[in-house]
Amino acid sequence: MAHITINQYLQQVLEAIDTRDGVFCAELLSFKHPHVANPRLQLSSPEDKCQQVLEPPYDEMVAAHLRCTYAVANHDFVEAYKCQTVVVQYPSLGGTFQAHKEENWHCWRLFPMAVSCGQAEQQLLKKGKGKVGDMLEKAAEQLMSCFRVCASDNRAGIDDSKKWGMLFLVNQLFKIYFKINKLHLCKPLIRAIDSSNLKDDYSMAQRVTYKYYVGRKAMFDSDFKLAEDYLSFSFQHSHRSCQRNKRLILIYLLPVKMLLGHMPTNQLLRKYDLLQFADVTKAVSEGNLLLLNEALTKHETFFIRCGIFLILEKLKIITYRNLFKKVYHLLKTHQLPLDAFLVALKMMQVEEVDIDEVQCILANLIYMGHIKGYISHQHQKLVVSKQNPFPPLSSVS
Amino acid sequence: MSREIHAKCFPSHCTRGGGRRQKQRCEGEAKSSVSVPRGTCMTMCPAYELRQRELQNRLHRFEVLTGTEHDRLPRADVSCTVKEYSRPAAGKDSTRATDLRPPDILLKTVYYLVDDIAASSTLHPWTEVYSFVFDRLRSVRQDMIIQRISGPECVAVLERTVRFLLFASYRLCGQPLRLFDSCINDTHLQECLSWLLECYREGQHQHQEEFQALSLLYNLGSAQAVQHVLELPGSVRLSPPVRLALAIGRAYVERNPVRLLRLARRLDFLQGCALHRHLLPCRRDLLLLYSHGHSSRNCRFPIQKLADILSLESSLTAQLCRAHGIHVGGEWVIFSKGSFTESLSEELQCAQMHRLLEDKQQDLTVSDIIHGVA
Repeated sequence: MAHITINQYLQQVLEAIDTRDGVFCAELLSFKHPHVANPRLQLSSPEDKCQQVLEPPYDEMVAAHLRCTYAVANHDFVEAYKCQTVVVQYPSLGGTFQAHKEENWHCWRLFPMAVSCGQAEQQLLKKGKGKVGDMLEKAAEQLMSCFRVCASDNRAGIDDSKKWGMLFLVNQLFKIYFKINKLHLCKPLIRAIDSSNLKDDYSMAQRVTYKYYVGRKAMFDSDFKLAEDYLSFSFQHSHRSCQRNKRLILIYLLPVKMLLGHMPTNQLLRKYDLLQFADVTKAVSEGNLLLLNEALTKHETFFIRCGIFLILEKLKIITYRNLFKKVYHLLKTHQLPLDAFLVALKMMQVEEVDIDEVQCILANLIYMGHIKGYISHQHQKLVVSKQNPFPPLSSVS
Repeated sequence: MSREIHAKCFPSHCTRGGGRRQKQRCEGEAKSSVSVPRGTCMTMCPAYELRQRELQNRLHRFEVLTGTEHDRLPRADVSCTVKEYSRPAAGKDSTRATDLRPPDILLKTVYYLVDDIAASSTLHPWTEVYSFVFDRLRSVRQDMIIQRISGPECVAVLERTVRFLLFASYRLCGQPLRLFDSCINDTHLQECLSWLLECYREGQHQHQEEFQALSLLYNLGSAQAVQHVLELPGSVRLSPPVRLALAIGRAYVERNPVRLLRLARRLDFLQGCALHRHLLPCRRDLLLLYSHGHSSRNCRFPIQKLADILSLESSLTAQLCRAHGIHVGGEWVIFSKGSFTESLSEELQCAQMHRLLEDKQQDLTVSDIIHGVA
């Protein structure tokens, strides 16, 4: 592969096309295949050669791919990315792709091309070039048109249907939308997959990735029960050897579970190298606001980078609840003076809190169902129910 | 042949043969090599447009030469006529250099719009002043977009525009829809803010902290806005206005309206304008939480205390309570979770509750507000 001539390469492509060998064809257009290191294929203007051997639109596709290898060899990642996106867009420009109604072998071709786009864009990010957002948006547009072609494939039988390409494309689109922070664009894709009759028949790997992204979206929509379902599925069905993936899923699953009252064990955190959560967990279960604030500050950079800092701040409400529950147990009465809570908060070095704020925090906890009772302003007391005044966290929300 | 020479002799986009394909590939190159339009119009309004509008009797009354208002065709006062916004259309060439104003003229135009129109004590009503300034500022932005202007003038223009739109959102709050559309104001405000924050990504900017804080306050509750600020360098993130804005945001997310309203008292006037549309919903939320938290037939809550934490006068507090089904009796209210209602009653407009902001405005002139008090 690394030493063939351009003509030999083109012959191989032609053969792959003629025999409908999607997998091999995909490799020949992929970035991961050794042929990209072959200097004889790194041409800046391979159009003529390609035209001689291949029919349109394959000649242009392959020419674009070869220009891409040339650009990469010259470290011109911007150009490389542009070329590779040209390659991806061909299948959706009507014509050949749609014309092959009874065939879906093109799907196999799409997979590595879309992934190569992602890789080229990673390189771009590393080189710190701006305007990556624009390129990603363009890539997304092209993937979207491929997706539409797949989704509207109603003619072929199930085995030959292009619908099998849908989930893969959706996952690639999710990746991009999360990167450019346009999560609302995920919604129509989710709807399309949910209503598809193939949704449980895709490969497990694809389904795990899909549920990971949908789970994260649910998190940002504050739909924590749903997020827990999806992310748990993703975590449980991840391949045992994919430690990195499991860790990534956990980063989002942990805050969700904590908000629902389930704290992770230190053993789990150590196994997946997520000890940043250890202090947070301890603080929340103990109702220790001071420790919580310290833990959030200490690992701020990590939490912000993962985009979970804001969700972890929501744990404050649970922490208040745990703290106040301690006060209740200490005083052993159903009529708790508001002052006691104020003292507790001041001990936790909460800045500038006064009795009015205490009332508000308590009112919120009552409203959310974390405390059963009412506040009497005149007596400056919180009167709690004699039965189960602090219902378990999992039964609330 | 070395790679560089090879590239020069055979540039990757232009090839022999394949007419359509060549054109497509060259088009991509052509776009970037066409020069960006550079304006040469040295007046606030291009001469061509001025003449056209004069002839068609389409001058705004603020642009008319004194003494000619009642003529059949009023004359334009060159020192008062400003290029108006016009929608891009097919066949219309908006890139003629003589019609475009360079950056320094654009900034001069903005100064005129602020000092002589928006801050004028003689032009009435302010809804008309707002419409005129809104439109002319939009045209300034259009010129900036066509000429792809970035840099200090662009930032200066955008900063004043944001301040103007924020001030207007407060000043014209409660006006009927035909005179002031808060949705349109909001759309433009968000566009300008995004553009401005984009400009801030590179280089040093004197007022960056001010505007990052304003963006947070205006977009209270937006996780995206907060995430953006959290990723900024420490010097901006830890500056006083941003810290206060973040603290207010936290109080909102934690659903602590008492804390939120207390922190809001520390905002300056413009920051108050940015936050102001969230204040009434925030007050309503407090009443909702208290309706549940203080729900007891035997308990009473003093109105004066409630007024203090709501930052409202007690008469308005009583009115607000009644609108939400909360029983008001003399100096007390009785909260009950069953009787709270989501009221969208017309009488209770935000505009009635502007006292907090009026106090902040005090001696500030409109000019101070829009140019930014140093």
